Amino acid sequence: MSRLTGLYRGESSVDFPGLWRRAVMASTVAVLIGLASFGIRGLNLGLDFEGGTSYEVRAPGAEVADARAVMDDLGAGDARVQVVDDEVLLIRSDIEDPARAAEIRDALTTRLGPVEAFEQVGPTWGDEVTDKALRALVVFFVVVALYITVRLEWKMAVGALVAVAHDIVLSVGVYSVFQFEITPATVIAFLTIMGYSLYDTIVVYDKVREIVARLGATERYTYPELMNLALNRVTMRSINTSVTSAIPVVSLLVVGSLAMGAAALQEFAVALLVGIVVGSYSSLFLASSLVSRLKEGEERWQAVASKVRGRIGEEGPTRVIGRQEAVLSDTRAAPRRSPSGGPAKKRPPVVRPATGGAPPRPRKKKKR
Amino acid sequence: MPRRQLVLLLGIVALTVAASVLTVVWRNEPLLGLDLQGGVSVRLVAVGPTDEAMLDQTVEIIRDRIDGLGVAEPEISRTETGVMVSLPGVDDQERALTLVGTTAELRFRPVCRMLNFPGGATEASGTAPSGPASCALLDSGEVVPSVGPGGVTPPEDDHPTDFVVLGARTGSPGARYVLGPSLLTGEAIAEANPLFIDYQWQVGLDLRAGRVGIDGFNEIAARCYVGETSCPRLEGATNGRLAIVLDGQVVTAPAIRAPEFKADSILISGGFEKQEADDVSLALRYGALPVELEPENTRVVSATIGEDSLRAGVVAGLVGLLLVAAFIVGYYRILGLVALTSLAISGALLWAIVAHLGTQSGLALTLAGVTGMIVAIGVSVDSNVVYFEHLKEDVRDGRTARSSVDRAFPIAFATIVKADTASLIGAGLLWALTVGAVRGFALYLGLATLLDLVATYFFMGPMVRLLATTRWFAEHPRRFGLPASGAVSTPVSPTAEVIS
Repeated sequence: MSRLTGLYRGESSVDFPGLWRRAVMASTVAVLIGLASFGIRGLNLGLDFEGGTSYEVRAPGAEVADARAVMDDLGAGDARVQVVDDEVLLIRSDIEDPARAAEIRDALTTRLGPVEAFEQVGPTWGDEVTDKALRALVVFFVVVALYITVRLEWKMAVGALVAVAHDIVLSVGVYSVFQFEITPATVIAFLTIMGYSLYDTIVVYDKVREIVARLGATERYTYPELMNLALNRVTMRSINTSVTSAIPVVSLLVVGSLAMGAAALQEFAVALLVGIVVGSYSSLFLASSLVSRLKEGEERWQAVASKVRGRIGEEGPTRVIGRQEAVLSDTRAAPRRSPSGGPAKKRPPVVRPATGGAPPRPRKKKKR
Repeated sequence: MPRRQLVLLLGIVALTVAASVLTVVWRNEPLLGLDLQGGVSVRLVAVGPTDEAMLDQTVEIIRDRIDGLGVAEPEISRTETGVMVSLPGVDDQERALTLVGTTAELRFRPVCRMLNFPGGATEASGTAPSGPASCALLDSGEVVPSVGPGGVTPPEDDHPTDFVVLGARTGSPGARYVLGPSLLTGEAIAEANPLFIDYQWQVGLDLRAGRVGIDGFNEIAARCYVGETSCPRLEGATNGRLAIVLDGQVVTAPAIRAPEFKADSILISGGFEKQEADDVSLALRYGALPVELEPENTRVVSATIGEDSLRAGVVAGLVGLLLVAAFIVGYYRILGLVALTSLAISGALLWAIVAHLGTQSGLALTLAGVTGMIVAIGVSVDSNVVYFEHLKEDVRDGRTARSSVDRAFPIAFATIVKADTASLIGAGLLWALTVGAVRGFALYLGLATLLDLVATYFFMGPMVRLLATTRWFAEHPRRFGLPASGAVSTPVSPTAEVIS
């Protein structure tokens, strides 16, 4: 609880670098499971991608729900049912095996009415749509990588793309493991996840860039320490945003499970929910750890690290930069005061406000 | 400073109100997609032998043709004998048929005569026969175009090298064009687009290079311009006309007003309505299908997603929105209310745009689009969260709330712009490079992101800064979800950060 209130007050002191190793391992395992499932079980592609069989049943007055009930009994509950001109039921199912399809036709005849037309149909989402979308995605990744390189730096571009790839593999992996049917709406959900993940990562990176620009020049903190401060400061934002994004999706999931025939909505919601959670997680844990690893190797940061080690002894767990230190070290906050060019000042005594303790009393009135 | 904020605020509020009022007044409604409301399904059967590859190619061309109309998100699939096309919410089944089209080939033919036109232009002039087959051959009776029932050349006699009599694709039903042999085919056309120039709708043509393109076209244009016998002046006109024929119907027959054209600056004007210009461009752009198709039937189909699912989705959306509102207000108090209003503004603008495009350009709102918008709610809220958290951070670092408000906004906004730009790049590329449902998604993503930026810059920022000038804000920071004071106990003056 105290950690939660600390988080709310911005006093959170999660040791992110200490968690990175575990996070990277967990993610690697999850990605491997996703890829393995994708390789072995593949995806359950729906009617729109693979085509299937269509039946036209003359059944005046019959409802969509009747047809769906029949198809459910036949083990083809994901069939798509439409009413045509009020008297014909157009039923399309992704069953391709001719024997099975004929079985269903016979069952439909006995239970609903005469099957007037019965044929194989091709996919509505053809290979051409997929090809173009994939090509567009490749172009998109290249352009976004360039964009992040220009606005931030190339190491962050690498981190962002790895994080996005991770999120997509996990989301698709969920569909593969549970064999949910892939519909065009699902593909859109994957694209949404991609956009969300990228957005989230850039927000986190911008905070890192801001903190490094402010405190980096003091040469008192190693890159992972600065990264840790930035992540702690952006955690509340990430949690709040994930919560507000996830609430409508969870609501879709709950309401969808109460309503009949809303299975499509539910699976769609699952994809989005996984994507939102994983998207925030990967920004805080994966994208940042990768960038930190890449930056640590830079000469500048190695020099800082050895200096810091010399001053405080062997590496322990990441030192957490307290609020006061952060403010005092803020090179922008006291520009006139900072010693020009001289060697780094002696570290000020660390007066870290006790987390969860009584904060200083607010002053009642500001004099202006 | 407050005046500027006030102007921005009033501007965006006025814009939102105006957009909402216009949406209601114009009766704009979003066009729901096939999955949500059903539509018209056209079944086409191939004439003659085909194989799967040809039908797949046909599907591709038809998809391009319909995508060119907007983002109607059609459902197009190959069947055993042809193609099935479903369009969302097209009330007019005839229009659905013409959209889907049954195309053979696009040909350029000179106009020899025009019969039964309201204006009554009939006789051709010019005599000296030279060059390509002259219309004079018709006058002398040497050639008689085959005419079937209905006064037009039947499709089986419609050979490119013959004189033919054809009707117009749209317009007066009795009108007939007597046309010379085909001089150029649809291969010549690289691109055709509706353009709004000089206060009227026109069709801009881009031709390919070479003999089958601009060179061939200019050769004809030179003849038609002077009214040679192969492309004569009609009565009372100064130039000859060149008809563009699609599937045995004249799409348009413009007079040639210049002897020579540049490949990318050919304009066809003719008092088009917007829809006509759209249709003509589409017909010109997507000339030939690899197989000839015949419509078998056109039927009204219901939604693919059951009404129960739809209702569940709407309920879920509303419940979700309420919960989000409760969370935001509970967490950020009055700032939370500002965030909600900002959300309402971008939502109202998005609705106005979606309704307008749905009515005007056939933009379909599918389940995927609806969900995209639900997720967009999350991202829009984030712009507020980024700012508010930055604000809290600054206050905790020892700044006064009031100075933090001014300082934090540009920094937070820069972050939001960076992140949103990545989304916009994605939306733009997907829009430009993909087809079908992905393209629809890209449009919604782009719109929602842009509106998020607009609402943040024009509403949320100014509103918070205005609130910050009140005494109330300075005295009760907690009501704004801000910490009472910084964690640093050193006294802080609003002007300079003091380190002692």
